[in-house]
Amino acid sequence: MGNRTFAYFLALSLFGEKGRHISTVLLSILIVFLLSSVLFISSSLHSVIENALREEPDLVVQRVEAGRLVNLPLKWEEEILSIRGVSKVTPRIWGRYFTGVKGKSFLVIAVDFLDENSHKTLEKLIGETELKTFLDGRHMIVGYAVMEWMKSHFYKEYYNFIGRDGEIKKMKISKVLPKEDNALFADTIIMGIESAREIFGISEDEATDLILDIPNDAERDFIADKISSLHYDIRTISKKESRAAYDRMFNFKGGFFLSLFCVVLLAFVLILYQRYSQVYSREKRQIGIFRALGWSMGDVLKLKFLETLSVVTGSYIIGVSIAYIYVYILGAPLLKNIFMGNGNLDMELILPPVLDFSALSSIFLLYALPFIAAVLIPVWRISVSDPKEAML
Amino acid sequence: MNPILLDTQVQIYLLSEAILYLLMIPAFLISLKIIPKWDFGSFSQEQYALEREAYLVMTILIFAFVMKFLLLPYFVFAIDNLNTLVPGAMCAAGVISANSYGMPLLFVKLFLVFALILWMAVNHYDLEAKNYPWFKIKMWIFIAIFIVASVELWLDFSYFLDIDPTRPVSCCSALFGQLEGANPLPFGLDIEKLLILFYLSWSLIVFAHYTGQTLAKLLATLLFVYISYYAVVYFFGTYVYELPTHKCPFCMMQKEYHYAGYLIWATLFGGSFGTMAASICKIFLKVDTGKMESLSFAMLNLFTLTVSLYPLVYRLQNGVWL
Repeated sequence: MGNRTFAYFLALSLFGEKGRHISTVLLSILIVFLLSSVLFISSSLHSVIENALREEPDLVVQRVEAGRLVNLPLKWEEEILSIRGVSKVTPRIWGRYFTGVKGKSFLVIAVDFLDENSHKTLEKLIGETELKTFLDGRHMIVGYAVMEWMKSHFYKEYYNFIGRDGEIKKMKISKVLPKEDNALFADTIIMGIESAREIFGISEDEATDLILDIPNDAERDFIADKISSLHYDIRTISKKESRAAYDRMFNFKGGFFLSLFCVVLLAFVLILYQRYSQVYSREKRQIGIFRALGWSMGDVLKLKFLETLSVVTGSYIIGVSIAYIYVYILGAPLLKNIFMGNGNLDMELILPPVLDFSALSSIFLLYALPFIAAVLIPVWRISVSDPKEAML
Repeated sequence: MNPILLDTQVQIYLLSEAILYLLMIPAFLISLKIIPKWDFGSFSQEQYALEREAYLVMTILIFAFVMKFLLLPYFVFAIDNLNTLVPGAMCAAGVISANSYGMPLLFVKLFLVFALILWMAVNHYDLEAKNYPWFKIKMWIFIAIFIVASVELWLDFSYFLDIDPTRPVSCCSALFGQLEGANPLPFGLDIEKLLILFYLSWSLIVFAHYTGQTLAKLLATLLFVYISYYAVVYFFGTYVYELPTHKCPFCMMQKEYHYAGYLIWATLFGGSFGTMAASICKIFLKVDTGKMESLSFAMLNLFTLTVSLYPLVYRLQNGVWL
């Protein structure tokens, strides 16, 4: 049988009898859409975090007391710097500032202008070249979510921080970080190191933690071990560990979604099996005619299979495209809250478009494989039905 | 809860493998029923029913096989991504050696790919012959495949359930690179002799291809796969990474190297498995395997060209060898 005739028959059976396929196609599109939306959001968030992690320090050194983070003495800086392979140690001051006893919280990051490099990465992250000009004296840069909160509380130009000693520190807002730049900075306040020390009540010879530059990445684990042996209350966090922690968190959310999705998938598979098992009398007659015209069982099987394959591929492409529009153009309303889950400030997350092989192949495997597996036996049963039987 | 099992790709991979296996069970039972009763010459109702069921077996297998081919790169991709969760691992080499099931699983997978190509070839020639002369051989091959696939499924689950995300593993440079002077190459070869053997076995394949020496070609291909593996890991790979100490069969499948590993390994295994299957069909079934042979031959040449270009381009760009 010629290929052209075959393709003609295929097109006929697909478009000639739209009613027969429409419900399957619609259901499939819905399933693919749901699945791809979640996977797209997940891979997009992943890329946001991956980008942010690239700027993370090689190693963070913290001091713990009964498992809690406490300030560390600045004299540790010298001790660590004397270890071979550590090219630079920078103390950091940061913390969460709570607006009330059970209020909202901002992430306050301090920038030390005496130290050139400490604000270089920050400048790169927020895309602002002259941080200094915005932060001199009692000025601060705030994330947009912080700004919105402040506006709604009538702080339009400044905010009164209450220090640990109970004194009010007035800080002027010199700049608001735009929404598009970096979603991770939505609830962040950036200020000079002196102001931060006053607000948090951190003395001159203490810091929140230390960040290390270790140029040779093969040495990082070893140096981390060495640092850990300096004091009993030291904790080190490497870049790789923080990445693994984020990965775990994502897998946790994504994994639970998929486990639940399997239930939906099972229902879908059962519906498909049921639907393809009902042999319509018209279809039976059609196959009977084909067989009578000299088609072999293999030919009928091929036709039926290509028919199914077209339905699968068509719905896959349509479903993925709709999901792409929903997630990356409309910004995935409703669904992205599953991943955000932040009870603090209202953050609006911009999802950068990411279309990777892993998500696309995962969607295909999770949808097409159960689909075809479910209809394989019913399709075979229709295709091999006896021509005599079929004509009755 | 084990974080490995919550990984999206691992979940999808295990689910897909399980579904495919479930689908293969009825095919296996039917083929057990068909084999003793099959008689193409008979016109009985029973034979007719058997032929109908044979179609089901064939359909299931073709579908399962196509999916298994797709699942192999997906599997490699999935374990490569796990390197962030397994401490110490930098690429799939560390993850696959996280427990003793990993390497056997990979070997079983490669063997299955070969067996599947062979089955597909026999099936193709069987259908072409119209009177199914090799039907029983085909079924026996499938039964062997089913047994291997059962082992594979067991290894799949044992492997992923057994990865301990708290236990550090070795990275590829510890597994393949620094062996403290021990020679990792077979037959006591050094790199020069390895390369001579590599190009020699390739020339042998080319020679056997054009003179139609099927048996010689089969043997040359066997040698070629074996030598190529070492040549890629210990010589050509270092040019992919542009680092003389980086010896790893897996890292080249990462984004940093433009996923070159997928092309290199796919053409090597696709080409040599294809050649071997075609040669076996030609020797035992005495069929004309011209099309399949030229296709696999082209893949082998593509492989040789790709890996040879890496050092040459490096030499042209930098003026030195590594």
